Amino acid sequence: MKTTPVYEQIEKFKHDLDTCTKCGFCMSACPVYQEEKVESSVARGKIMLIRSLLAGELEVTDGLAEQINCCTLCMTCAQNCPAGTHVPSVITAARADKVERKGVPFPYNLIFRWLLPRRRLFGWVVRFVSWFQGVFMPKTEGTIRHLSFFFAALGKGRHIPEIAPKFLRQSVPVANKPLAGTPVTCTVGYFTGCMTDFVFPELGKKIIRFLNNNGVEVIVPQGQGCCGAPVFLGAGDFVNGRKMADINVKAFQDLDYVITDCATCASAMKDYVKFLANNEERKQKYSEFAAKIKDITEFLVDVLKLPPSAYRVAQEFIGKTITFHEPCHLGRYLGVKEQPRQILKSISDIKYVELPDADRCCGMAGTFSINYYELSKKIADKKADAIRSTGADVVVTDCPGCQIQLIDTGKRNGLPQRVMHIMDLFE
Amino acid sequence: MIDVKKIEKLRKIVGKENLLDSVEQLTAYSYDATNIWSHLPDVVVFPTNTEEISAVLKFANENKIPVTPRGGGTNVSGGSIPIRGGIILCTTKMDRIIEISKTNLNATVEPGVVLQDFQEALAKEGLFFPPDPQSFAGCTMGGVIAENSGGPSCLKYGVAKQYVLGLEVVLADGKVMKLGGLTPKNRTGYELIMLFTGSEGTLGVISKITLRLLPAPRSSKTIVAVFNDVAVAGETVTAIIASSVLPSKVEFVDNWTFEKFRGLLPGHILDSSQVILLIQVDGLPQTVEAESQQVVDICNQWASQIRVAADADEAEKYWQARGAHFSDIHNRAHTIINEDVSVPRDKIADFIRLGRESAKRHDVPISFAGHVGDGNFHPAVLTDSRDKEHYQRALKCVDEIIDIALNLGGVLSGEHGIGLEKQRFLKKAMDPLAIEMMKKIKDILDPNHILNPGKIWEESKE
Repeated sequence: MKTTPVYEQIEKFKHDLDTCTKCGFCMSACPVYQEEKVESSVARGKIMLIRSLLAGELEVTDGLAEQINCCTLCMTCAQNCPAGTHVPSVITAARADKVERKGVPFPYNLIFRWLLPRRRLFGWVVRFVSWFQGVFMPKTEGTIRHLSFFFAALGKGRHIPEIAPKFLRQSVPVANKPLAGTPVTCTVGYFTGCMTDFVFPELGKKIIRFLNNNGVEVIVPQGQGCCGAPVFLGAGDFVNGRKMADINVKAFQDLDYVITDCATCASAMKDYVKFLANNEERKQKYSEFAAKIKDITEFLVDVLKLPPSAYRVAQEFIGKTITFHEPCHLGRYLGVKEQPRQILKSISDIKYVELPDADRCCGMAGTFSINYYELSKKIADKKADAIRSTGADVVVTDCPGCQIQLIDTGKRNGLPQRVMHIMDLFE
Repeated sequence: MIDVKKIEKLRKIVGKENLLDSVEQLTAYSYDATNIWSHLPDVVVFPTNTEEISAVLKFANENKIPVTPRGGGTNVSGGSIPIRGGIILCTTKMDRIIEISKTNLNATVEPGVVLQDFQEALAKEGLFFPPDPQSFAGCTMGGVIAENSGGPSCLKYGVAKQYVLGLEVVLADGKVMKLGGLTPKNRTGYELIMLFTGSEGTLGVISKITLRLLPAPRSSKTIVAVFNDVAVAGETVTAIIASSVLPSKVEFVDNWTFEKFRGLLPGHILDSSQVILLIQVDGLPQTVEAESQQVVDICNQWASQIRVAADADEAEKYWQARGAHFSDIHNRAHTIINEDVSVPRDKIADFIRLGRESAKRHDVPISFAGHVGDGNFHPAVLTDSRDKEHYQRALKCVDEIIDIALNLGGVLSGEHGIGLEKQRFLKKAMDPLAIEMMKKIKDILDPNHILNPGKIWEESKE
């Protein structure tokens, strides 16, 4: 007799699975479907495949894994869904149940298990391979083509910024106090994320300086690690994701705020409780941790309530036209839409123009862009057209992942716009 | 089942990147937006031009393989379900807008263009294609024509068939036929375009479409009116139209979906009311101003609450609440039988009253929503197909509701089409001579019955 298989993680999101009416509202919204025009690309198709899985009509084959993997988790489907079906949660859960049965493929199994949770070792490996970048491929101006086993996968000929000669957490102390004379109004923990730590340390320093100037003491806990987004959201490895979650929760346990400059990190960490809390203790810890997390622009606008005069634009950007790409994790996941725009609009020294479809996915989506680089590029090219149409001098965003994608897209499409983090604009 | 050799032949026609045959991919083409119908195809092909459609059909015809044309697959009739297996011919990769002409007020598109994309492209030119089925975000133009789609705006502007100027159709044997042209007037021979418009993919595959367009209305206004009584709401609609105002949309939702309007309208009003009417008037700003005032004045006589949306954002919120009706109802029961009858406008109140009485007799929940302005209703019976006894009562109630609509001079399907979903009612809704004629036409155009077999009329197994 055929027994119905049990999919533990998917079952938790059974409600989302059941509410889909197959109406097709997700179709115009899905960046992957818009490129592929194949039913299994879109939320409705994935829901039907997962329903068939639960019904025992399909099994976790490579073909099914492919359909579960090929999603940016941009959440546009959920935003457009009249039934309120949260397909990204179902897909993340399905990835976990797939891993439960099939494991994580090489080399990610080693990376997730041994490398990402060990910050120092990870940093050392990144540094080690960065020495050989120039040996295998010539450096191009400002960007480099990597050949490290991790970054090679990320790279595939992609233009990515050079690994920093010195990582952020090697360059700054744990406690960063405002200069003598500036009264300290609050103390925050800074979650630097892998990208800012290894690739954009100057951004990190700028953020610390900016917060210091506004009376905020910034603690950079050395115990923090990767947020785990590529591990539990991207790959569905909940076991190692949980390890990373525990590490980060512990690292920030004595702090009231966890500030990030990366929307993906912030959103992933807020989602620990949704996906990784496998007991009551974790549930409570992860919930408390989630409540502390603030995106940098959200913190500046909603908590510090800084006046426009606090945003002093660096000399090189004065008089420039700036546009803003809204990361999926910032707008749709964290609900932070107005804060960065409010900052940009309040600055009299720059001109802000809204990017058409500013909240449309850039196609990066972490490991998605490694596995589906060709598709990722096509999605990004639509973003490139939008950026070009603004005539802006600079496109800023609030996620180093998007930033890397936009840099690559800009190079490929010959865009004149510089790509930066919103906090790069300030002195 | 199609054998491997035949699939290889198809792969040669469309290219390997345009053919799917894995069980996972086939599963994703086994359903549409209906509740209960599903069937796996043997293979899915995505032609990228007319020649490929032609080659696929020629091959299928020679080998007597069923071909089910499909666009976005958002239809609610079972029409795009490959009920006899075979080939799904999916047009989504033929998605070019070939031309939009502001001077000629027409556009030519490939069948896979998504309606919303088309409407957005037209809006940039100040143009307008009125049919607006609620599946606009995913449905394709080929489907809009093959299903002769409607939607809320059809009250003022008419359904898809009123906009078709020309078609290119690939016939069952692979021959390519061109019909009509670019001009709004064309009296050359039989109206063969109408044969394929609304044919539900049973007579040919539409490969190119030329459509008549309208200049986009300059402005619009949305009025929301809440009523304590269903019949009074129906009479209000009649009164508005009798006053020589033809709104672009008049939509009706009953209190089953009021939850979606919480926060938009006062809670105590919603608690004590039965019906919400959403009315949109459009046109020149001064006309809109005058007409919306007239609508408000008429509603004022009977409505318990009236709101005029202050701006487009507020209006959008009301329309989103209306758009969420189907999913809202869907999530209240395991199985929804959603009908699509249309009755003459002056019979609206009678229809709802009799429909509710029937539901009461059979002790099943029923919700009414729809395009009340043109009498096109979507009564939805809430049931559970796993509960045999309840489900049987629900089916009986649906039978009665269709009888009620037909007896009031209405029709079986206003806009969804027959497909699989409404086959069992066809005999009582259509003249037997007409059904015979449809079958004869089918025999002429598709003698091997390869095109979307098993649809519209009930057939003995071939």
